[in-house]
Amino acid sequence: MRRWLLLLAAAAAALLMGLVVGPASLGLAAVWDAVIGRGDETAQSIVRGLRLPRVLLAFLVGGSLSVTGATLQAVVRNPLADPYLLGLSGGAGLGAVAAIALGVGGAWAVPLAALIGALLAIVLVYRIALVAGGLLDARVLLLAGVVVGAFAASLMGAVMALSPAPEVRNALLWLLGSFDGASWQALAIFGAYAVLPLAVLYAMARPMDLLALGEEPAQFLGADVESTKRRLYIAASALTAVAVSVSGIIGFVGLVVPHAIRILWGHTHQQLLPSAFLLGGTLMVVADAAARTAFAPLEMPVGVVTALVGVPVFVWLVRRWAS
Amino acid sequence: MGELIFEARAARYRYEGADADAVSGVDMEVAPGELVAIVGPNGSGKTTLARLLLGVIAPSGGAALAAGRPAAEWTRREMARRVGVVAQREEPAFPLRVHQAVLFGRYAHLGPLGAPGPRDIEAVERALQRCDVGHLRGRWVATLSGGEWQRVRIARALAQEPKALVLDEATASLDVRHEMEVFELVAALVQGEGLAAVVVTHHVNLAARFAHRVVVMDGGEARAQGLPRDVLSRAVLEQVFGWPVEVSMWRGAPQFVPLRKGEGGDESSS
Amino acid sequence: MCRGLRLALTIAALALSCAAPESARDGSLVDDAGRVLAFEQPPRRIVSLSPATTELLFALGAGERVVGRTRWCVDPPEAERVASVGDGLNPNIELVVAQRPELVLFYHSPMNDGAIAQLDRFGIASASVKLDGLADLRRAAILTGRVTGDSVRADSIVQAFERDLEAAAAPGSGNGPTVLLLAWDNPPIVIGATSFLSEVVTLAGGRNAFADLEQPSATVSIEAIAARDPDMVLLAGGSEDPDWARRPEWQVVRAVAERRMVAASGTEFSHPSFRAPHAVARLRAALQEAKP
Repeated sequence: MRRWLLLLAAAAAALLMGLVVGPASLGLAAVWDAVIGRGDETAQSIVRGLRLPRVLLAFLVGGSLSVTGATLQAVVRNPLADPYLLGLSGGAGLGAVAAIALGVGGAWAVPLAALIGALLAIVLVYRIALVAGGLLDARVLLLAGVVVGAFAASLMGAVMALSPAPEVRNALLWLLGSFDGASWQALAIFGAYAVLPLAVLYAMARPMDLLALGEEPAQFLGADVESTKRRLYIAASALTAVAVSVSGIIGFVGLVVPHAIRILWGHTHQQLLPSAFLLGGTLMVVADAAARTAFAPLEMPVGVVTALVGVPVFVWLVRRWAS
Repeated sequence: MGELIFEARAARYRYEGADADAVSGVDMEVAPGELVAIVGPNGSGKTTLARLLLGVIAPSGGAALAAGRPAAEWTRREMARRVGVVAQREEPAFPLRVHQAVLFGRYAHLGPLGAPGPRDIEAVERALQRCDVGHLRGRWVATLSGGEWQRVRIARALAQEPKALVLDEATASLDVRHEMEVFELVAALVQGEGLAAVVVTHHVNLAARFAHRVVVMDGGEARAQGLPRDVLSRAVLEQVFGWPVEVSMWRGAPQFVPLRKGEGGDESSS
Repeated sequence: MCRGLRLALTIAALALSCAAPESARDGSLVDDAGRVLAFEQPPRRIVSLSPATTELLFALGAGERVVGRTRWCVDPPEAERVASVGDGLNPNIELVVAQRPELVLFYHSPMNDGAIAQLDRFGIASASVKLDGLADLRRAAILTGRVTGDSVRADSIVQAFERDLEAAAAPGSGNGPTVLLLAWDNPPIVIGATSFLSEVVTLAGGRNAFADLEQPSATVSIEAIAARDPDMVLLAGGSEDPDWARRPEWQVVRAVAERRMVAASGTEFSHPSFRAPHAVARLRAALQEAKP
């Protein structure tokens, strides 16, 4: 109980902070006025049109990435698995670069192309991993993810080298991750889309507990291992793919957050998934606030912030795990 | 004949790509209140036979039935409500506390979202006490000794409130005391609570003393089965293990000693 | 800083900084990397590895000597008839050497150090030219004129250019529209004051909304743009009605919501050239037309 109150309080504090800080320096009072629709018009449009959807989207994405990270860690039985591990980032990057290189028009061209690229990578990885006797082998899955990711990255390099459009490099900046594209519309789309995979994953919390013991013990405790793995993989990667399309690739949240919760509160996924969601969302909102205020008016890619914090934490976790 | 728990009828299984059957034409059965040991050398098909009985794999020929129905047709959840399994090795990928690990035994009885009820808590508690690991409930699994972890896993299997227990080399890595404790526990459960038990082991001497019946596997076939004192003869053991042995009776159970090269047949009796 | 003063300073800086290319004591030429250039006679075969130097060579009447260019060198149109050697930064040395150049003009960048060293080993002369702003243009023109052996022509072209530029520039009133120079939308990349395009905006009577940036360009947040509430958006490349302007998050920027946007289309906006007065005049007209 105390744990949940703590997590909720941290989440509320982070959201409030995310709403108050920003390159346009508005005071607490001005922000409050803007939220309730009073006062300066510019402040209102900044707070209600940009900051509010932005902090909410960051929270949702951070939470979703933590949940998918926890899920994939259970599927491959490795606490160091990352949501992007399975070829997703390469596919998304290739999609984004290809869209810019080919001059695909439309307001949402790049995010949509990244989504398609990521989904294609998922299908490809899944197909490769299934080759071994029609069963989904977690080790082959990992390998296939690495291989497909590397292949997509090479294609991306080829497109960048050959494209007559110098703007393709900007796709890389986009890929580094940002919530600057947040809007109520993006929030609504992501929220509507994320509900189903999140619900599926939560409903499978118990089979995940069992899967983490190993595939055979999981079977003997009543888990249908093959269908569990498939459903978990598909729900988690589809959710990650959409997260990529609204915010680029934001590493380490999905890796570090579930691990931290595991160390602090043990492993049952029914507690782990919601706690990871809250903590991941909280950290993402804080990281995003840092990304847009630390060097204002310049904006750091939020993926850079999470990596700068996440890598040392990751190293610490690896050393802890190894001992 | 009572309620048969497990039954194999001319069961045959060949792994994909293999050029010989791992199990070929085995008949056996296990009834409630009965402890059946499957013994034999490495690669003789012991574990494959157990996997057939548990429905993890479907026989390539013949039948493997659980309560009269092909075992492979059972859903894993149905099977887990009736049969608790302790395999040789298991390493949790993530930190886990003992009480959580034992509660996993209740998952086959729980809905996807519902919280464990008083009945579940009670089953966990009983299992913890039965295996004498109640005092470990708050410990991290990774900090347990091999024997403690094995008993926790048996507790987890008991928390399933099963009609049958299957132990596959579950004592292979344990020292004498812990191994004896596990066998005593299983024997008590069979005798006191009427469970059926299948114990896959290469400890022929323990099998001889604890099992009601023994199945001796060799090259995928059941070379012999029946009461330990009828089955575990010098001839059978020497043929199956391919090594000279001496068999003597100790309190009604055949016990064997593998001989060193050049040792005669007489001096090893006790 | 007051707008009129800034324009005056810009033009003064132009005049001062381009006094002359650096010369060593003995009268030999020095390139922008500080290397001495020595030619027994003006080079007849030149590979030019930046769009600005290629255009400059053609403008100075040395176009027929250009035997290699980058794939980005498309001005003047005649330049496209010259063989392309690919990229200008870190170029393909084999292709460059294959043109049998007597001089290779590089864009001044540490990324080209390796290529320059390689050409030295082949005994092929090279020069680094820094050509990022209008102030560089005159120095580069005079240097190039001396290299090609036609200083008189270069001097007169530069003088005419300066007259044109002064004529095209808006008189300093100090309260011209603030202009967001936007290079990319997602993430938003804006152009700072140290870039050529920003110079053009200033001369056309606008004020760069991100004049305080030290970088030539940088990623900023939409909120930072909205907070500065620019009067106009100048799109560096791209159409005047871009698709992204319909995205909801951009509607918070009033100039975008109200489509107060001008496209800096055409290479006269992308690098310094003698066409800069046209760019200034075009932009000045567009700014006046779109004045809120």
